[in-house]
Amino acid sequence: MITFSNVSLIYPNSERTIIEDATFSVNEGELVLLMGHTGAGKSSVLKLINGLVPHHTGGILSGEITVAGRSTRSIKPGELADVVGIVGQNPINGFVSDIVEEEIAFGLETIGIAPDVMRKRVEEVLDLLALAPLRKRAISQLSGGEQQRVAIAAALVTNPKVLLLDEPTSALDPIAAEEVLSILHRLVHDLGLTVIISEHRLERVIQFVDRIILIHGDGTLDLGSAEEVLRNSPIAPPLVDLARALKMPTIPLSIREFRKNAPAFEIAESRTESAPLETGEVVLRISGLTAAYEESARTYALSNIDLEISRGEVVALMGRNGAGKTTLLKCAVGHSPIVQGKVTVLDRDPQSFADQELIRHVGYVPQEPGDLLYAQTVEEECAFGDRDNNVAEGTTLDIYRALMTIPSLKSHPREISEGQRLGLALSIILSARPPLVILDEPTRGLDYEAKRVLVRNLRRIAHQERRAVFISTHDVELVAEVADRVIFLADGELIANGTTRQVLTASPAFAPQVSKALPHSPWLTVTEVESYVNAQK
Amino acid sequence: MAQNRRQSFHPLFWWFWAVLMSTLLFIIDQPLLSFGFIVISTALVWFFRSGSYWYKTFAWAVRFAAIAFFIRMAIGFLIGVPMPGRTLFTIPQVNLPDFLVGIRVGGPVTSQRLLSTLEEALTLSALILIFAAANSLSNPHSLLRVLPKRFYGIGLASVIASSVAPQTARSILRVRNAKRLRGQQSSGIRSWRNVAMPVLEDSLERSIDLAASLESRGYGYFKNPTRYRPEKWQRRDLLALSGPGYGLIVVLAIPSLSPIIVGLLIPLFALTPVFAS
Repeated sequence: MITFSNVSLIYPNSERTIIEDATFSVNEGELVLLMGHTGAGKSSVLKLINGLVPHHTGGILSGEITVAGRSTRSIKPGELADVVGIVGQNPINGFVSDIVEEEIAFGLETIGIAPDVMRKRVEEVLDLLALAPLRKRAISQLSGGEQQRVAIAAALVTNPKVLLLDEPTSALDPIAAEEVLSILHRLVHDLGLTVIISEHRLERVIQFVDRIILIHGDGTLDLGSAEEVLRNSPIAPPLVDLARALKMPTIPLSIREFRKNAPAFEIAESRTESAPLETGEVVLRISGLTAAYEESARTYALSNIDLEISRGEVVALMGRNGAGKTTLLKCAVGHSPIVQGKVTVLDRDPQSFADQELIRHVGYVPQEPGDLLYAQTVEEECAFGDRDNNVAEGTTLDIYRALMTIPSLKSHPREISEGQRLGLALSIILSARPPLVILDEPTRGLDYEAKRVLVRNLRRIAHQERRAVFISTHDVELVAEVADRVIFLADGELIANGTTRQVLTASPAFAPQVSKALPHSPWLTVTEVESYVNAQK
Repeated sequence: MAQNRRQSFHPLFWWFWAVLMSTLLFIIDQPLLSFGFIVISTALVWFFRSGSYWYKTFAWAVRFAAIAFFIRMAIGFLIGVPMPGRTLFTIPQVNLPDFLVGIRVGGPVTSQRLLSTLEEALTLSALILIFAAANSLSNPHSLLRVLPKRFYGIGLASVIASSVAPQTARSILRVRNAKRLRGQQSSGIRSWRNVAMPVLEDSLERSIDLAASLESRGYGYFKNPTRYRPEKWQRRDLLALSGPGYGLIVVLAIPSLSPIIVGLLIPLFALTPVFAS
């Protein structure tokens, strides 16, 4: 269906070849996963397939790519619209209409399908993706998962042979992600669709894929069955890491496979709960809080929330898309309209903080860390941080260096990787030494390596520097690694507040892979299992 | 919800309505009528209100019309030819060179000057509000669908432009909030520069994404695009337009109509969309 022969790609003004002399083919009805570190070139490979690279983005391409027998060299992406459907990283940016049904019909209108055929196709796709009840809704009012489904429907409606998806689950909660992926799985099996998907959160997709293309980032790539590639890959989901730690002969792709082949090892005794964490003074106190999503909203995003967060702990806030997580975080900086109740940071109302006071009390990294940045280079950005926070010159940069390997000082903050950008925003916040650090959805677009760095840093900030860390995330594995306590929101109400182990193991949808794989064990992460296994020896 | 509770008209309906209304406005040229049309436009917008983002543009148009009104008044007082009538008050006059005979800046403001300026300012505001009402009551997305194929490109460009405005407003808000998070003042010129950079980068990124989406969905590559739900001009639309239409006929047929009748009858005609829905 798709063939690459001797394909090389390089962008102008870049020293690195994205891929060099790649030759491979993908058959009809395959689900192929593209994996690689951030910036390795996953999106570029996806866009090569429908010709957006180089026709739309520029770049120097050699070799030949054919899709369904057509070469992308001479054909522009638009002429492939009936063969290839693509869903970008931020589907909301690509929507042309405001109503679900019209958005889906758009692709058919442009290629000139007769109205009566069009009506039937739109109906089919609406049913296929369970969008029929939403057909007349405004797209801007749908949840992230629903929008993702609309984008997939809009790409599928022209009956393409190939569907390309760029990180389709990165903005979704575990349940919505599961929904989208199982729909894709069904399309592959029922319609013989060829699907190429790029994704960082391997634990979500790995069980559905047939083959994997691993992009190393130095121009080379590996293609093989999921088992072959994962056996030696530097990037692997927790389940595979677990199998490696236990020295299992096979590489399991699903929890079921793992349990079938898992070595029978006795868990000597279910370890008693680790000693309760020593927390310091309460930094954030929320009592009886009811808040609206925005000033004019009639419905409340949060109702009657009671919550305390203290120095020395990492608290994770979880819940489905639209459960009110961001609204709750924003209350701590006084950005959410409070209807009832009280929010205090060190016994003061956050809305009363003047410009400079706020960051000295609460450091808040928003969903788009780039919003905090406005300088032209990393160096300048750090200097601004020093000046804004009235600290000695070089402080911000030193903090940044302590967090991670930093990019070149002359690079533009928009051009560095997501992980580095998050680190930069975090160091600016930290240079003001706030007792409370809040991160909204920090793992979007982060690869496993960047997440490990984040986990290490957040734990250090909380446990050694004795600050309170409050993060909202959909990433179950991250929560298992980093959090001491988990708070669960559902539809604006607080439905669980307990230790990470208690909350995560209570619901199968929000359980990490390790605890699903070893259901009777007390462990949540591979590191815990490893240290146990090593201790046994 | 973007859907209107009431039955909606053809996407072009409000634009036809606006053209008829503005023709009436110019032919009759009555301050009372201008004022009436301002009230009617506002009332109609309120009556057909929806939660959509294009509906919200009317609030901006009202501000714009008010500013236009005051500027027109100020200019009317300051600049112009001398007019007869009772002098109300006098503004210090500026001495102009000789070749600008007949024009003066400042000087006495007479009652007639006040009246004629007021009339013109009212007409201007009414015109702005009539078209603003049409803009805020027609869905730009469905407008795109009824435009002849020839205008498809232009229509699409305007739809994209109209969707960029509210998104940009949202990202401005987001970035301004972020400035507060960094402990910077959220007003002042330097702060605006700091807001503008991320917002511009953001909207550039969005436009590139949108262009890529259009490109990969084959926009503009196929010869005969079709329509999913053709919007047809219905009897209801015609009925609703008949009010201002008859008004226009009456005014053209009987030029010597008394101002009172015009002031009372025409607004009634103009309200037919309410009855037709």
